[in-house]
Amino acid sequence: MIRSAFASLVLTALLLVLVVGVVLVPIAMRLPDPLAVLDMFVLGPFRNPRHTGNIVEMATPAMMCGLAVAIMFRAGMFNLGVEGAFFLGGLATVATVLVVPLPGWAMAPVGLLVGAVVGSSICAVPGYLKARYEASELVSSLMLNFAALFLGLFIVNYFLRDPAAGAMVSYKIPVDARLPRLVGGTRIHLGTIVAVAACLIGAVYLFMTRGGFESRIVGLNPGFAAHLGLPIRWITLRAQLIGGLIAAGAGGIEMLGIYQRFSWQSLPGNGWTGVVAAILARDNPILIIPAALFLSYLQVGGDLIARNFDVPSEAVGLIQALVLLVVTSSAIMRNPRLMRFIQGRSNAATKTGEPKAAERSPA
Amino acid sequence: MTELDLMGLVDFVPAVLRVTTPILLAALGVLISDRAGVLNIGVEGMMLSGAFAGVVASAATGSATAGLLAAIVAGGLLGAVLAAAVQILKSDLILSGIALNIAAAAGTTLLLFLMTGDKGMSGSLASKVLPNVAIPWIADVPVLGTLLSGHHVLTYAAFLAVPGVGIFLTRTPLGLRLRAVGESPESAAIAGINVVRVQVMALIVSGAFAGTGGAFLSMGYVSWFSQDMSAGRGFIALAAEVMGHGGASGTMFASLLLGAAEAIAVALQGRGLPSELMQTVPYVVPVVALVVYARRRQRLLARA
Repeated sequence: MIRSAFASLVLTALLLVLVVGVVLVPIAMRLPDPLAVLDMFVLGPFRNPRHTGNIVEMATPAMMCGLAVAIMFRAGMFNLGVEGAFFLGGLATVATVLVVPLPGWAMAPVGLLVGAVVGSSICAVPGYLKARYEASELVSSLMLNFAALFLGLFIVNYFLRDPAAGAMVSYKIPVDARLPRLVGGTRIHLGTIVAVAACLIGAVYLFMTRGGFESRIVGLNPGFAAHLGLPIRWITLRAQLIGGLIAAGAGGIEMLGIYQRFSWQSLPGNGWTGVVAAILARDNPILIIPAALFLSYLQVGGDLIARNFDVPSEAVGLIQALVLLVVTSSAIMRNPRLMRFIQGRSNAATKTGEPKAAERSPA
Repeated sequence: MTELDLMGLVDFVPAVLRVTTPILLAALGVLISDRAGVLNIGVEGMMLSGAFAGVVASAATGSATAGLLAAIVAGGLLGAVLAAAVQILKSDLILSGIALNIAAAAGTTLLLFLMTGDKGMSGSLASKVLPNVAIPWIADVPVLGTLLSGHHVLTYAAFLAVPGVGIFLTRTPLGLRLRAVGESPESAAIAGINVVRVQVMALIVSGAFAGTGGAFLSMGYVSWFSQDMSAGRGFIALAAEVMGHGGASGTMFASLLLGAAEAIAVALQGRGLPSELMQTVPYVVPVVALVVYARRRQRLLARA
């Protein structure tokens, strides 16, 4: 079991390197100095503490969105409302700290709570419509993402807009509401600790509590769950609610941790990164932490080459899409010959004293 | 209703048809894929790629027809890619579709930048548009002329495709096989149908429809390509197909309903209602319609 998990880990890592190469090498070849581009992409994020910090900053929302996706997918629902919940959660949090008169110490907690509850509706409503009316959660969550976007732009434009600022952005978020920064020279903030803790708690919830166990049964085998007499509707709805609260909370944390004003003009894409992170981690909350860090590392590398060379950072989107594709490909991931080949090698590695890597990788 | 209102309503029809066209084309594509048991979530990305291919090819060749062909081919190719991911790589259908949407959004932006140096818009490309068609005789008849004549060539194509797809699905041997594969792949395989081939074909055709819808966006609706210009229309098409009961005419009526909702929202925007709020309408109406449809189905099931 552990050995096969290790083999799939090795395989995943090899595939990721391959995917990055396939996208990046042709783009780099266009430029006069392709090696400098690759070097900037691969090593650039670690040359400067500020950029290394960027990885952690970007991984923070990716972890929480990934966790939200994992909890909802584990319960058997293709709810894609994470993107909208993240957006609306961020907006509702900012609106609360701007509009509601609160003492300084209460701003962040109250704002985040309101943001999480309001934003979670984008995941909870499709969950409810599915549980109550059997309406496709896939379609309704995709629709509500866009509804959330335009509703949000309306609220910003008519209620929160700062006329002194040039663009359509909100008033400045009060300094008291902002989350404390943790590491000098970077923007790493308290939210990162919250996100890591959330992933750990998420793992405990999914694998060690009754609620998590129930939702996994419902997701794996609804017929069996019905046979057991589990309240399926409530269990799936509960998973969508928890997922929505986490995703929307992530939006609020991102706003209070990084931003000066609410300035999103379109859906920021963190929800989709969360989907990729969750799939990369096979819906395992602990593995979401490294998966999110890896995806953010790609993004920081992409942003660096975009800033220094004539390459748009969208290349990273292509890499994300390919990652999603190859990681879900059971022809590659469950290919018996490939697995045996890698396992044979990892056995040899184990004998020469590398057992810890295998034990560390959870199945 | 007074005569004035009636004339306003007649003038409103072209606007509805204009908004409905891309949704309907994409929804027919979704319908074909869905009936073959391979729901095409990548329709959004295929539309976007079709819009992009149309602009690039028509600018390169100077011919709008070449642009349309390129859009169809681009959509069909992506359908083949999705089919390959599902059938050869054995990836998950829905996640592959999501991957395709992410890739199309990034890929079109990347290519646009490589070609024009601009990430947002294709303004520097001299792309062509497909024409509107005036039907002789009918164009001169007062009300009928507004209703039937002068629409975009792809609007006619979309509505003519509705009976085409309907007849194909219900009255042809291939359509029967396609539906058999969608109902029960195992039984279809036992009956000697090549399930893989039917599903691959369905996804390619589905992509071609989505690509055509995309061509309408960049070569009819407007005359340029802009970043993420499909703006969720592929997803609205998914909703239209679900509301359409799995039939071609049902899909058409659902698309018209969603198109009318969007056209009304656009019209109200012009009368001073907040534009952002009106822009939510095309996305909220499908959700409400889905619920109404699902409730009705539940009641019918309960009665049966």
